[in-house]
Amino acid sequence: MEEKVINIIAEQLGLDPAEVKRDSNFTEDLGADSLDLVDLIMKLEDEFDVKIEDEVASQLKTVGDAIEFIKKLTSEG
Amino acid sequence: MPEIPLIQGGMAVGVSLDNLASAVANEGGIGIIGTAGIGMVMGGKGKNFRQENIEGLKKVIRSAREKTKGILGVNIMVALTNYEDMVVTAIKEKIDVIISGAGLPLDLPSYLSEDSRTKLIPIVSSLRTAQLIFKRWFKRHGYIPDAFVVEGPKAGGHLGYKPEQLTEPEFSLERTIPQVREFTEKIKKEYGKEVPVIAAGGICDSKDVKRVFSLGASGVQVGTPFIATKECDADIKFKKTIVNAKKEDIIIIKSPVGLPGRAVRNKFLEDVERGVKKPFKCMYHCIKTCNFREAPYCIAEALLNASKGDFENGFAFIGAEGYKVNSISSVKEVIKKLFEDMQ
Repeated sequence: MEEKVINIIAEQLGLDPAEVKRDSNFTEDLGADSLDLVDLIMKLEDEFDVKIEDEVASQLKTVGDAIEFIKKLTSEG
Repeated sequence: MPEIPLIQGGMAVGVSLDNLASAVANEGGIGIIGTAGIGMVMGGKGKNFRQENIEGLKKVIRSAREKTKGILGVNIMVALTNYEDMVVTAIKEKIDVIISGAGLPLDLPSYLSEDSRTKLIPIVSSLRTAQLIFKRWFKRHGYIPDAFVVEGPKAGGHLGYKPEQLTEPEFSLERTIPQVREFTEKIKKEYGKEVPVIAAGGICDSKDVKRVFSLGASGVQVGTPFIATKECDADIKFKKTIVNAKKEDIIIIKSPVGLPGRAVRNKFLEDVERGVKKPFKCMYHCIKTCNFREAPYCIAEALLNASKGDFENGFAFIGAEGYKVNSISSVKEVIKKLFEDMQ
């Protein structure tokens, strides 16, 4: 799952998956803008069939945050 | 649909209210009320910011309604801290159109109820923004935008671009309009809904209108030329500031809300540029992105002052082609000039 999240992030931001680390900050390290982030959240929602509320989305600062959050959502099922 | 493919751009603080909007609606265009700061415009003192703005908007919409049977809308900036209040109030008042930009109006359709007849039009600055809003609205709310206003870098007021993008061809209407049109054609083919593309920013006369129509727009949103009309709600000094502005007076400022803005240079702005602080007390933090603790002045207050004719303590926003506006006429005249010798 972790790999899948990283691949989606890399694709959205036009990066090599190797550049996307768990502690990468979306905006500061990966250069994402506000449009990228909204789009990314929608892609993750589709891919993992989850709903990520805006309040939560705005707190996902790093790749690791996103991975942990999706893990939590999918395990709660 | 309006008789004329025209939206009068919403202008706040205090520039497009009931008088201007209803005059445009009476001529067959869509008249737009600017909602930012409408509580203060209607005499509120900021003590009960939210309630004053709700009451102010209600009053202005009702007053405009009394003056026209035409199509009326409101412009609500996403960046307003009372965005939700303004949207809910406008829908309750059965406004015909909500136009929303200055941020991403990602959940605007969620405020509609079954029986609302309000149309929703996002303002976008690029194909990417249009696609993203469409995707989100369709996926989350099952709603397709009723049109897109594509506002290019030559618009007045706050601009949805970085300062360095303003002169890059990549961000010009010439580039963006055909792209967004191609996208709306796809929407039409796939979902059967016609989504007009409305061009905005720097449109002054019929030559401009023809040019953007040839690019794929089917309507225009025009702001600045309507300031120089007898119907415009701002003070005569505000109108004269626009009329007297020369090309070299039109500058890009760094607004306290974190966006570039296009304005008419004056002493107030020159002072700010030189680092002079204009002390103010922020009572209500009206714009989400406003860094009010460090801002050199309060932009809502400055714009309100200007709309009342006080340019010692304020300034006017203007579109890039605003120097071409050289006299005060009427809404009818402005519309004639925009659409003369068109079929």
